[in-house]
Amino acid sequence: MSEHLSKQFDSELDSIRAHVTRMGGLVEEQLRGALSAFGESDHELSRLIIERDKGVDELEVAIDTACANIVARRQPTAIDLRMVMAVSKTVTDLERIGDEAKKIAKATRKIIERGNGGCLAQVLQVRHMGEQTASMLHEILDAFVRLDFAAAAHVVRRDKEVDQHFRATVRQLITYMMEDPRTISSALDVIFIAKSIERVGDHCKNIAEDVIYIAKGRDVRHLGLKGLVREMDVP
Amino acid sequence: MDPSRGAISELPIKAEVRNFNFHYGEFHALKDVTMPLCERKVTALIGPSGCGKSTLLRSFNRMHDLYAGNRYGGEIILHPDQTNLLDPRVDPIEVRMRLSMVFQKPNPFPKSIYENVIYGQRVRGVTKRSVLDDKAEEALRAAALWGEVKHRLHDMAFALSGGQQQRLCIARALATDPEVLLFDEPTSALDPIVTASIEELIHQLKEKVTILIVTHNMQQAARVSDFTAYMYLGELIEFGYTEEIFIKPRDKRTEDYITGRFG
Amino acid sequence: MSSSAPSDVALIRAEIRRRKRRDLWFGALGVLALALALLTVVTLFINMLIDGWARLTPEFFTSFPSRRAGQAGILSAWVGSLLVMLVTASVAVPLGVAAGIWLEEYAPKHWLTDIIEININNLAGVPSIIYGLLALGLFVYTFGLGQSIRTAGLTLALLILPMIIVATREAIRGIPQSIREGAYALGATRWQMVRRHILPYSMPGIFTGVIIGMARAIGETAPIITIGALTFIAFLPPAPLVGTPPFVNFEWLSAPFTVMPIQIFNWTSRPEAAFQQNAAAASVILVAMTLMMNGLAIWLRYRLRKNLKW
Repeated sequence: MSEHLSKQFDSELDSIRAHVTRMGGLVEEQLRGALSAFGESDHELSRLIIERDKGVDELEVAIDTACANIVARRQPTAIDLRMVMAVSKTVTDLERIGDEAKKIAKATRKIIERGNGGCLAQVLQVRHMGEQTASMLHEILDAFVRLDFAAAAHVVRRDKEVDQHFRATVRQLITYMMEDPRTISSALDVIFIAKSIERVGDHCKNIAEDVIYIAKGRDVRHLGLKGLVREMDVP
Repeated sequence: MDPSRGAISELPIKAEVRNFNFHYGEFHALKDVTMPLCERKVTALIGPSGCGKSTLLRSFNRMHDLYAGNRYGGEIILHPDQTNLLDPRVDPIEVRMRLSMVFQKPNPFPKSIYENVIYGQRVRGVTKRSVLDDKAEEALRAAALWGEVKHRLHDMAFALSGGQQQRLCIARALATDPEVLLFDEPTSALDPIVTASIEELIHQLKEKVTILIVTHNMQQAARVSDFTAYMYLGELIEFGYTEEIFIKPRDKRTEDYITGRFG
Repeated sequence: MSSSAPSDVALIRAEIRRRKRRDLWFGALGVLALALALLTVVTLFINMLIDGWARLTPEFFTSFPSRRAGQAGILSAWVGSLLVMLVTASVAVPLGVAAGIWLEEYAPKHWLTDIIEININNLAGVPSIIYGLLALGLFVYTFGLGQSIRTAGLTLALLILPMIIVATREAIRGIPQSIREGAYALGATRWQMVRRHILPYSMPGIFTGVIIGMARAIGETAPIITIGALTFIAFLPPAPLVGTPPFVNFEWLSAPFTVMPIQIFNWTSRPEAAFQQNAAAASVILVAMTLMMNGLAIWLRYRLRKNLKW
């Protein structure tokens, strides 16, 4: 993008983009860490993830304040305005992903403390689903930096898979619970973790819609995949 | 990102207005104004027409002394030497040698570009050609005009465009190495692109000199200043960091003005 | 309002034609008045030119007046005019310009300065013979300056002083306040501002005023006669520049003298036709000098104005 007449304005926008990227990186780390703790029953790592969520929250507040400042001081228009508004929403989604990571870590701790390992196959499956969403997050953060709306559309598609995956996992766990009622508590914990991961996927989809908004100026929320693809083809 | 903004009272101050009152004849134009001017920062004065912002600005360099019937009350203290600029024992000429002003409508003298820039040095009695040449180049560079005029320094100033003329006036004001630069609605006569380039220039200038700017364009105050003072009917209603004034002003009157809920 | 019907448009057009006709009438009247005035002046001038044409020779310029019309010339007259103008200018210009500057830039806005302003404007309309009488009483008798070039110069200086003061003030008033404020804001004292801004920028207006004043002074007759210019001078005043140190002498200031208008007056009062011819020739020269001076004023004003764009 070419520069503004005001270098100050440019540096303020760059600063916001840099912080969003940093927040994204932090959240991705949190997510992967929580998944790893879940997979390896790492109590210490879970505790760390829960503590580090504070940093994510602080970043959200700081970025939102910076956005408010830019609107008050610079009266941004067109792509600059869309970016500031979309950043505000993206940051909320990122913070929620961070919260989901925290929830996953908390649930992991409960499972470890309770002691019944079990559900090994499902754990692997859920872990796999988690890796999917972590990679979606990585992909959408990349797309945000490059304003790559094609990659954003791809992320929206992947979320559909994550949703299907989630439903399959739940069916399996229900079957498992029916076979052996002693496993209900841990199975439920795993279902909650799976739900958190599914929500992470949804948040990534929201961020993808924000990227499309910045890049194309089209609000593609609530349109469904077909509607979204249609909107994207309009120049 | 946003450095934690300290309390204003802990920042280095270049000047202080203390209980300043001003009368145009019988009319009480400025009432008990007290505010700081932070060093090497841009402070903006905003407010509706007739609120007294230009009157306050022009008191800093004693321009009101040129016309009969005006009366100053209170003090404007300049740091670090604690001189009261309004003291009748202080020569207005001395004040004007320490504070420079840029006016609303560009007012270059009908002389050459070179003569315009070094005028301030000439009235101080500097005659050595090399000194004047250096000063001229320094000032024109600081005003981002050197590249455009270095080959035609002896052309008449009127040959320049409006934006260039205003930069020339800025260079002229800078050539006297002022401690404070006073801007009286400097871009109201200029188009938006030129305005943006002058705002960018002000941003660069504040690294070296304290700036006080009067503007009737609120958005300009938001873009350009670190501190903003809102004035109404001769009173200072609110003073604070620009972000605070424009995001969460403390006084409802300030908010009404800024949001356009005026009148 | 719906679109006008065709008849409305026709009415409008007829009314416009009526108004334009009145326009033309007034234009024609104006041109007629102008033509009348110009024609009169041009006719008089051409008349004079025809009358005096034969006498416009180099000898005319270099000969003294004589009882023989054919040999009479205007040497003493135009030299006298020149020297008187020199004194007039050197007195009236510095005094007038300084007074104008003081009144505009230094004098406080006071009822007293208002009275002074009104009086100066009035002085410009006082009949010139009054100046002559004043000069007679004051310069010739009280100060004892004699009936000399010095006295004539001073008298005419008094005469054109109000014009120069007014011209100076008008020129200064044309300078925008923003220039003054700009100069003061850079730390200039009042004198610095006057010297570097007020004076240079008001030069065009001042020059014009000076030249127009001089053009008037050169043709003044009544005051000069009153203070006693002689009508028959067959010698020149002592030269101001001499070959021996100190190279300048001022004796010419106290010499008796004559000027162009007086010479013309003298010739016209003689019955001989030849002298009338001389008078016509001298008049042509005088008019030409006046026109040239006015032309110079206009040209100077144009040149100096070019750089002043407010």
